Amino acid sequence: MLIEFKVNGKSYQIDVCPSMRLIDLLRDELGLTGTKEGCGEGECGSCTVIMDEKAVNSCLVLAPQVDGKEIITVEGLAEDGQLDSLQQKFLEHSAVECGFCTPGMLMSAKALLMKNPHPTDEEIRTAIAGNLCRCAGYAKIVAAIKAAADSTDQ
Amino acid sequence: MKKEFKYVGRTFPPDHGVRKVTGDLDYCCDVKMPNMLYAKLLLSPIPHGIVKQINTSRAEKVPGVIKIFSHFNSPNKMFSTYRIIPGQQMCFEDETLFAERVKYVGDRVAAVVATSLAAAREAVSLIDIEYEELPALLTPEEALNNREVKIQPRGNVVHEYVVDVGDVPPTTEDCITMESETQTQRIHHAAIEPHGCIAYYDTAGKLTIWTPTQSVYGVRTVVAELFDMNYSDVRVIKLPIGGSFGGKQEFLFEPVTSFMAMETKRPVKLILDREECIIHTRVRPPVKTRIKTTVTKSGKLLELIADSTLDSGAYAGASPDYVATLSQKVCKLYRIPHYRHSGRAVYTNTVRSGGSRGWGAPEIITAVEIHMDQLAKKLGMDPVEFRLQNLVHPYDMDPVVQLSLGDARVIECLQKGAEAFRWKERYNSQDKQGRYRRGVGVACGAHKNGMYGGFIDSTSMVLKMNEDGSLNLNASIHDVGCGIGTVMKIIIAEVLDIDPALITVTEADTEYTGYDPGVYGSRVTYVVGACAKKVAEMLKEQILENAALILGKPKEYLRVEKGCVYTVGEAEKRVISYQEIAEKAIRENFRSLNAAYTYHSSSNPGSYSVQFAEVVVDTVTGLTSVTDFLAVSDIGRALNRGMIEGQFQGAVQMGIGYALCEEVRIDEKGRPLNNSFANYHMLTALDMPDVKVLLIEHEGDEGPFGAKSIGEISTVPTAAAVINAVNNALGTSLSDLPVTPDKILAALAEQKRVRVC
Repeated sequence: MLIEFKVNGKSYQIDVCPSMRLIDLLRDELGLTGTKEGCGEGECGSCTVIMDEKAVNSCLVLAPQVDGKEIITVEGLAEDGQLDSLQQKFLEHSAVECGFCTPGMLMSAKALLMKNPHPTDEEIRTAIAGNLCRCAGYAKIVAAIKAAADSTDQ
Repeated sequence: MKKEFKYVGRTFPPDHGVRKVTGDLDYCCDVKMPNMLYAKLLLSPIPHGIVKQINTSRAEKVPGVIKIFSHFNSPNKMFSTYRIIPGQQMCFEDETLFAERVKYVGDRVAAVVATSLAAAREAVSLIDIEYEELPALLTPEEALNNREVKIQPRGNVVHEYVVDVGDVPPTTEDCITMESETQTQRIHHAAIEPHGCIAYYDTAGKLTIWTPTQSVYGVRTVVAELFDMNYSDVRVIKLPIGGSFGGKQEFLFEPVTSFMAMETKRPVKLILDREECIIHTRVRPPVKTRIKTTVTKSGKLLELIADSTLDSGAYAGASPDYVATLSQKVCKLYRIPHYRHSGRAVYTNTVRSGGSRGWGAPEIITAVEIHMDQLAKKLGMDPVEFRLQNLVHPYDMDPVVQLSLGDARVIECLQKGAEAFRWKERYNSQDKQGRYRRGVGVACGAHKNGMYGGFIDSTSMVLKMNEDGSLNLNASIHDVGCGIGTVMKIIIAEVLDIDPALITVTEADTEYTGYDPGVYGSRVTYVVGACAKKVAEMLKEQILENAALILGKPKEYLRVEKGCVYTVGEAEKRVISYQEIAEKAIRENFRSLNAAYTYHSSSNPGSYSVQFAEVVVDTVTGLTSVTDFLAVSDIGRALNRGMIEGQFQGAVQMGIGYALCEEVRIDEKGRPLNNSFANYHMLTALDMPDVKVLLIEHEGDEGPFGAKSIGEISTVPTAAAVINAVNNALGTSLSDLPVTPDKILAALAEQKRVRVC
């Protein structure tokens, strides 16, 4: 089936198999391999992308559901080579270790800040509760998201 | 005098940090090669049996299938996935590429190579296999009591040992003895990156393997020996790694992927899915430990006798060494006049055990520290005061491995931690009534710094300065996710007083980077880092020698600062930049600036962490929340502060999971019950307490700028601290991990029953 959608501001029209998952569409068809697969069943969150302003596990979204939608992936965060403040704060706050969960964390955080620019710690933790990190224990990630939210104020 | 550092102790992002936050860094799963094929494994659904027949006719019809492999068309040479160097002791060659006799649910039976992963997957589902089932032994007890069923030809006991050091001193004091038993469980490492690798065998006969491994030279050894190749014809390149925690220490997939690449003459990529990662790769070994101690009534330990049984799973792998390390932790922590530890690793028809963060320390220290709390309780002593009487002191001798413990600051960790956590006040003012019970717990842990005293512990590096003043460190770095490359840059930057951004660090590649046995044993900062410091110091000498020639001044009258060399002792100071020195060294002095060194460690001090937990247990549901946590560590010297704190917080996440919820359980038919992240629960951001980190920095040992290891010690005492807090909250003596709600409720019911009686 033919679907039309946008990824990181760019329009696509692609003929896809209806059982194709969004993560495969992104990684295999569009070459956007920043989105990672850690479990394939929506538990680890490393494949999180933003679909119409909501964070979704791209391993649980099928291609037909993407028709007419606007997707943002980790590749869409930086603009003109300038890192998004979330990316910057993740680096400054030691919120990145092995980096495999990082794209998903960033996208969950981005979806939160798009909706709620001044989140509390609890709201941040809730927003990333679906993203597993085995290296850093979340504290640095929460601090980085908080710092990114604060930096947008200024 | 307090040393001032310019780079050491600050916070730097990890190597490739920008590429990690932009999604630009290619992990194994992201790599594509021309003509690449995709492999999919077929894993055994039964725990023990003979693969009698394989019918691949349906599978072969799937479009895109190139070849199907099983023991019927593969070499049957035995190998060990644990071998790093030829001649290594305690490597039991007990497996083949594909099993003729499967030994656990998840064992490798067959594999399909196809032009797409989808085709490989479909074909695997269409392979028909006839098994002859054999009796399965699922626990060490079953394996020891049914020795007529041999899991491996050599029997069911992998390895046994006894350590016995010291004597019980004469005492006039009254003594008490106490016994306990602790069971720790099988856990999944749960690196978020699934396991995998890529191999290619080219027409020149060279085999290249790209893999997120903890040891490229180990992969090379195992693969070259298996296929009778020259070591020089096997090139292993380390890829970025999405976490490992010991799970990528052994060489489990590289042999089979290499074989498929050699057979198909095309690049073959194997990436496991999460279920395969859990049931096929290695897990933290389940260990049962019985401890008996004798202690004076005033709280002085006289004797500790321990007996441990480790479940190795179906293949030996690291287990023979692993079980022996259980006996090498306790005397790093406590002064024990008489210490005896017997132990054994036992084969079972379950998922293979293997190297796991802390390598025996979390298992044995959990048992010891739960025991120590119960002992303190029996003596009527505060658990902190009791431990203070018995912990090791700086420069004590470890009687088991016969090495100095170095500047072992565990007592200071406990004292400072107790103060920061307000231990006394909180321990003495706990409310033990009502539905929600609050409790606090403490535990101490010990680990090591490298392999000195037990195994090869050398590393080779070359550091060169380019004509523009930038630097290349050529070394077999295996960053496992905690920023090892960055640590090397910080060390070099501090020695040369140069911006770390001017330094490039290689990752391991057997073709181009010097020998290093790999990342384990907490050896990287202490040993590899010490080598980086040494080559930086050697290069600094060369810089000064060349500057001396250029400036016409003896090098004793020169000093370095901010990437320049300055003259000292002259009225008019002269300055020359590294860039100018490097350029003139080549052009005018006919020298190049490069320093090569092979470093051998010559000590192995203890690393320590003391951790404090506060929990709230719901006595109705049995659910435990960890509400506060403090991790203290005698780190020697913090190199990359923010990353160290993060590593501790991650280690605590792993340790709380170990205490409360993580387990790969095996049902009565040998099937793993927790085979996905949906039923293998790890702590999320909402579950985690605020983990405070307190670093004690004394730099009394040989590591770079005094730094000691943290990667493993950080998780060693966590589980015991949490369980001691649960026991403190409830007045229980739970010691069967994980302490799940059902076990808590059962213990409370038992408590009630005893009270009523």
